[in-house]
Amino acid sequence: MTRDLLQRLERGVVLLDGGLGTELIAMGLAQGQAPEWWVLERPEQVQQVHRAYAEAGSDVIHACTFGATPLKLHSAGLPGRCEEVNRRAVELARAAAGDALVAGDIGPTGVMFPPMGEATVEQLAASYEEQVGHLVRAGVDLLSIETMFDLREARVAVQAAARSGLPLLACMTFEARKRGVFTIMGDALVPSLRSLHAAGATAVGLNCSVDSSHMIPMLREAAAQLRCPLVAQPNAGQPQIGAAGVTYDATPEPFAADLMQMVRDGARVIGGCCGSTPEFIRVARRALDEG
Amino acid sequence: MSNESQPTPSAMSEAVVAGDAELARRLARQALEQGMPPLQAIEEGFVVGIRRAGQLWEEGDYFLPELVTSAEAMQAAMAVLRPALQRGAGGSVGRVVIGTVQGDIHDIGKTLVATLLSANGFEVSDEGSDVPVERFVERARELQADLVCASALLTTTMAAQRDLVQALARAGLSARVLVGGAPVTRAWAEQIGAAGHADSAVAAVEVARSLISGVQP
Repeated sequence: MTRDLLQRLERGVVLLDGGLGTELIAMGLAQGQAPEWWVLERPEQVQQVHRAYAEAGSDVIHACTFGATPLKLHSAGLPGRCEEVNRRAVELARAAAGDALVAGDIGPTGVMFPPMGEATVEQLAASYEEQVGHLVRAGVDLLSIETMFDLREARVAVQAAARSGLPLLACMTFEARKRGVFTIMGDALVPSLRSLHAAGATAVGLNCSVDSSHMIPMLREAAAQLRCPLVAQPNAGQPQIGAAGVTYDATPEPFAADLMQMVRDGARVIGGCCGSTPEFIRVARRALDEG
Repeated sequence: MSNESQPTPSAMSEAVVAGDAELARRLARQALEQGMPPLQAIEEGFVVGIRRAGQLWEEGDYFLPELVTSAEAMQAAMAVLRPALQRGAGGSVGRVVIGTVQGDIHDIGKTLVATLLSANGFEVSDEGSDVPVERFVERARELQADLVCASALLTTTMAAQRDLVQALARAGLSARVLVGGAPVTRAWAEQIGAAGHADSAVAAVEVARSLISGVQP
């Protein structure tokens, strides 16, 4: 199997993994504690989730680095541990991935631009560049930017990641509003994705916020106007609060059917976000293989 | 002088909806200079504006940047009006520590509740967003707070409200907990032992009043 995402994309649809943070919470990660803590303290648990996704048929395993920019690690109580967290997280993913590719996962810094916060482009660029450098040295096969809600920050992240020369997925998180599909900051779906592709992302798309049925029309809208490969990673339904904590209400079969609909509509890279489990990926793998 | 620079309630409201902090501050000063009671300027003017901004957000016309600039305009006006309010109203109705729980950066609803509580005579210490449980407890102890208001906008962060109720009890503090935020329901409040919950900023003021006075709303 080739370690090149682009070659795999040429051959067909690429299946990512599913939720990592929600799986770790199910294993006992405390609410509010960053998953990166478990990279250092409970590595066997993190690896167990990676292995389950690899065995379920994921083509790509996301390393546990979503919150591993220096800025985010600082607010998570892990200041100064950027190199260590990224290196060890990639080691864990690689050891469990088998033939699957390993993606360096990159999420928002949590520091926002005015008027919400006081971030500057230089500050965020430096934070992303540092994480990307550690991920590249740790040997990831591709980079995957996820859950961006501010196009300005997403572009800074994409530019930093694209300079690595690695294949790059870039997803933002959108909701249907009265006047169309937007991020919480008011960035519109198609112009945002077009902008991220122009900034250097190999494939662009949507993750989180919505369940699979609500992502279908969004993906369709993007596919009608964009020529680049598209990514879709919906949540496994909507979160429900119960005595057992937060659960998600989707089941694997309808979720996989929605993913297959998005493939027919033009998605080339599919996977799951919050609440999706290895079982969701196993069912999606079967649906993909059966065509 | 054109009508729009007069400190009318609708001009105040408009300044907040437009997110014009400079104009809101000026209108608040002019209102005081012309003898308008500060509570009237707040309730008939600025609060109407921030409620409208919240409505525009819910309806999908406003996004986070617009909502934040509206809240900033509201706060600019409140900074002018609050000292006058306290001079006129006598003592505080009750002491409140308020914040959004750890892991959650959503600020708008919480800021609106803090503003309305303050406008209604509560002494409010707004701890901002992403506030750890220990910080709530520490501030409640320092200020001898009557109420601790905790907002959570994410299903993944609302468990911190339960941690807060337990931590205050462990610390032996008598402050009662009022919880709010989009996913928060009465059932959740009862389940975690919170004293009350509110599903809007206006309701929060009523619940806060009733918790302090011991009268059910």
